[in-house]
Amino acid sequence: MSASEIVAFKGKVIASAKTTKTIKTDFVQYKHLDFLADDVKTSGKMVFKAPNLVKWEYTNPYQYSVIFKEDQLLINDGGTKSKVDIGNSKLFKKLNQLIVNSVKGNMFNDADFTVSFFKSPKYNKAVFIPKDKKIAGYIASFELLFNKDDAQVYEVKMVEPSQDFTRIVFSNRTLNSTINDSVFSN
Amino acid sequence: MHFNKEAVGNPYFSNPEIDYVYKAKIEVYKKNFGGILIIKKTGPESHRVVFTTEFGSKLFDFQFEGDTFTKHFIVDDLDKKFIVNILKDDFRLLVNEKAQVLAVYESENHRIYETTSGDRFNFYFLEDETEQLQKIVNTTKTKEKVEIDFTSHEGNIADFISIKHKNIKLTIDLEKFKNE
Repeated sequence: MSASEIVAFKGKVIASAKTTKTIKTDFVQYKHLDFLADDVKTSGKMVFKAPNLVKWEYTNPYQYSVIFKEDQLLINDGGTKSKVDIGNSKLFKKLNQLIVNSVKGNMFNDADFTVSFFKSPKYNKAVFIPKDKKIAGYIASFELLFNKDDAQVYEVKMVEPSQDFTRIVFSNRTLNSTINDSVFSN
Repeated sequence: MHFNKEAVGNPYFSNPEIDYVYKAKIEVYKKNFGGILIIKKTGPESHRVVFTTEFGSKLFDFQFEGDTFTKHFIVDDLDKKFIVNILKDDFRLLVNEKAQVLAVYESENHRIYETTSGDRFNFYFLEDETEQLQKIVNTTKTKEKVEIDFTSHEGNIADFISIKHKNIKLTIDLEKFKNE
């Protein structure tokens, strides 16, 4: 992208994120490990409510949900409920913040990453490379793919230093429907 | 009728064509963790064992090749000698395919094959009629340390696996991903 294209693209994503109060979407997650014949595939639904409530609910092939709420993760692992405090882990906090922000797409001002932009006929891509050495030990890069028309994130890819990666593809997205806060309790 | 064997085997991770993928639930001192356990036979005597979170982030990535253990990756929080040793021993026992038989015992429904590994002993419980491996018990000379139970509905695929420690409060339950 040229400098002016980047400015226009960022503007569109930020504007879209601003008007996005809630998101409901299906997702399919592909875990790619070099030595496997097939990617490990799981799927479910994701719900987001501004400013920072997120619930990931895996339904296939197992039931597992995690709610990001303030400095806690509320987990329901097939009926086994637990709570994880992430307040004192800077790395974990960063990873979670990434997940929350990537849903909205608006993470261009994150000082912890070097961002570069790419375009293709169908989508725009932003690639985030961590500056912090410790984070770079876990994530080589973090990629967001945006629809060109509505500037919504439709794919997230997290590449590990080994080049194995996790890819999450969204589909059937509903914007700004009413979502009760009770969805985000365990 | 079956006959005594010179070597006893574990067939559940022996097919290099199969990606063995399990949902894992770990309970350690009443704390619960979940994740995905992925095992692949990558060579004649080689297995790769990878554990990830539900989001796909790797927690550890081990390789067992004969007697050689390689730690390709482990997150800092788990990278402590006693944790790595427990994980290494558990998963080596889980994926090990063949061991020399020292002695054979019989119980009501099982034929039990005793093998040795280092200063420990392993007892493989094969169900009488089917000769299916149902349990491995790892012991010292005097005490049971780890028990692995297998539940299998067809052939050499374990649908459920439970790894229970007897001296520490650690249980790892594995449930095979169902094909779509």
